[in-house]
Amino acid sequence: MIDGRYFLPHSARFIAARAELMDGKTLRVCGTDGSVLAEAPFRKVKISSRLGNIARRLTFADGAVFETYDNDGVDDMLAEARRFFHEGWVDRLERSWRTVVVSVLLAGAVGAAFFVWGLPAIALQLALHTPADVAKLMSDQTMSAIDSAYLKRSKLSPTEQKKAQVLFGRVASHAPRGENGYRLLIRGGGPLKANAFALPDGRVVMTDELWALVKNDDEIEGVFAHEISHVDRAHGLQRVYEASLIPAVIAVVTGDLSQVSQLSVLLPAILVQSAYSRQNEEEADDDAVEILKRMGAKPARFADLLARLNAKNCGKKDCEPGWISDHPETEVRIEHLRAAEGKK
Amino acid sequence: MPDGESAGGAPASYLFEFRGKGSEYFRIWIVNLALTIITLGVFSAWAKVRTKRYFNGSTFIGDHAFDYHASPLRILVGRTIALALFIAYEVSAAVDPRYALLSLLLIGFAFPWLVNASLRFNARYTSYRNVRFNFTGRYFEAMIAYVIWPIAGFSTLGLLLPAARRARDYFYTNNHTYGGRPFRTEFSAGRVYGLVAIAIGVFILAAAAVFAVVFGTEWLIVNKLLHGHYDPKYSITAVSVATGCFYFLFMSFAPALHTMIVNLCVSNTIFDGRHKLKSRMSPIVVAWITVTNAILTLLTLGFFYPWAKVRLARYEMSKLSLQADGDLDTYVSETLEGQSAVGEEIGSVFSFDFGL
Repeated sequence: MIDGRYFLPHSARFIAARAELMDGKTLRVCGTDGSVLAEAPFRKVKISSRLGNIARRLTFADGAVFETYDNDGVDDMLAEARRFFHEGWVDRLERSWRTVVVSVLLAGAVGAAFFVWGLPAIALQLALHTPADVAKLMSDQTMSAIDSAYLKRSKLSPTEQKKAQVLFGRVASHAPRGENGYRLLIRGGGPLKANAFALPDGRVVMTDELWALVKNDDEIEGVFAHEISHVDRAHGLQRVYEASLIPAVIAVVTGDLSQVSQLSVLLPAILVQSAYSRQNEEEADDDAVEILKRMGAKPARFADLLARLNAKNCGKKDCEPGWISDHPETEVRIEHLRAAEGKK
Repeated sequence: MPDGESAGGAPASYLFEFRGKGSEYFRIWIVNLALTIITLGVFSAWAKVRTKRYFNGSTFIGDHAFDYHASPLRILVGRTIALALFIAYEVSAAVDPRYALLSLLLIGFAFPWLVNASLRFNARYTSYRNVRFNFTGRYFEAMIAYVIWPIAGFSTLGLLLPAARRARDYFYTNNHTYGGRPFRTEFSAGRVYGLVAIAIGVFILAAAAVFAVVFGTEWLIVNKLLHGHYDPKYSITAVSVATGCFYFLFMSFAPALHTMIVNLCVSNTIFDGRHKLKSRMSPIVVAWITVTNAILTLLTLGFFYPWAKVRLARYEMSKLSLQADGDLDTYVSETLEGQSAVGEEIGSVFSFDFGL
């Protein structure tokens, strides 16, 4: 005998009632005065699965509902009638601390593995299979947006520009796509100051302010090699794909697509992105060392330029915007590059 | 509290209450997540229904909880269709980018239909006291509320966005029914503009206050107490405290404004021409909960998420009430002509949430 409320078919009107299983076969619902409100074969009654402490719903074919908080009582009925095809096992897992602990470990391990290996690998595959047309279209849009918002016309003299192009060509000819696979654009940095960045289709942008800091050809060649590596490894496209895959992951974790725009899930997404960007920088540095060595240039000089940029931007106050600020842990990188010089 | 057996139509006030617990939802969430991982995503449909049922079943008005009735199998089919469409889109885009543009155009036209299908799916499978909700939005209404108005809003550099927000809230609220009886909200666009003005004004004042307090304190310490002995450490501390406060302000702005508009919309909503809804959430409290939830979720690598969700729901529901003019037990589910199966399944994929 379980206590609950009996709702009339499809109606908000209810009566305090009791349900009882007769002979393990028939479900009978009676009012508190003993009058029979409903009677039906138990197997024809739809029973919602147990979940936390929320109410259990026993729905009759005519739309009447017996609602009860006596979850154990309903489970006893199901056992007595030998009805086992319901989600009871999920509830038992949810209530057992052992499965909860196992689930935490599993979710943590799978989540970590996915973010460390899975997502970058998927993004890399997608990036490498992106048609050149698409990469060009994206690069055009990005470039025109940055051009109109930040960049100015270059104030370098034609001879200076020519020199930069020659050095760039030298680096490019030692890179996988060859001399015609990349293009150097020179711009006034504006608020971006001393900066360089790569676009997915092979364009590399360098600002006047960065050029002004260079004391030695090898230094700027290091920057070019680093940016060219971003192009070759399709880092830009990877970031785009990662950014579009992370919401999908969030939807799986939270079980709901509508949570994607919530602040509490956006913040971690941003953090994950910046971790990937750090990884990309390390890869690009390693590639730059390879290219520079092949050219007979000195990676340590590249490190000198980084150190100078760092000193200029992060001297007394906060780091100013520039090539350094989106390249974290500069000191680690400088050390790494100087060490690479020694190795053969 | 009047119960179903008492006759008569005395006015009564019902409080909303969320009775879910963080620890309880945590166990449901983590176990369902683990099962989703083990089954490579197949269980996600069951996980979704269980989550939805838990939240509906823990939300009470007076002595009765909401319920959710969607079938996980349906949702699984919906997700499979969506996944197939997504793969088809990706493959065709890889073959020729022009296909991608064509698909995007198609999605644009299908979008209003998707909005309706999803809202209808959600409403029809939600019940309160054995009576179902429904959503009656039409294609062109959704087109206007979700496509035309936002375009107008952004193309006027945000000037029309408050009006667009009102259009969306009207579309959402006024198309919902319960037992076949309508919800109606009515408020002027001017009031939305007023709230936006208040939010911006408070934001500027708060930013100025942070600036004044932080740097004023720094100036006092440096100049008065230390006899002019200056240590750059104080500036660095002041700058980082101010930066922290500014981040907090920035993150608070959207939730706070959203809360004020929800209050406005809900408090002007009348159900069935006589029952009034009221929402008295404090924008500052909601902003505080939202921002601290985000930080805690981040610090715990996501494991705080269930508590975050419960914490917000508890607050939101505690500030909602229903002024009923007469009994609520007279309502009866309308007989609904079946939604097309495909529409229902696609609708089940998306879930646009309104901040009720």
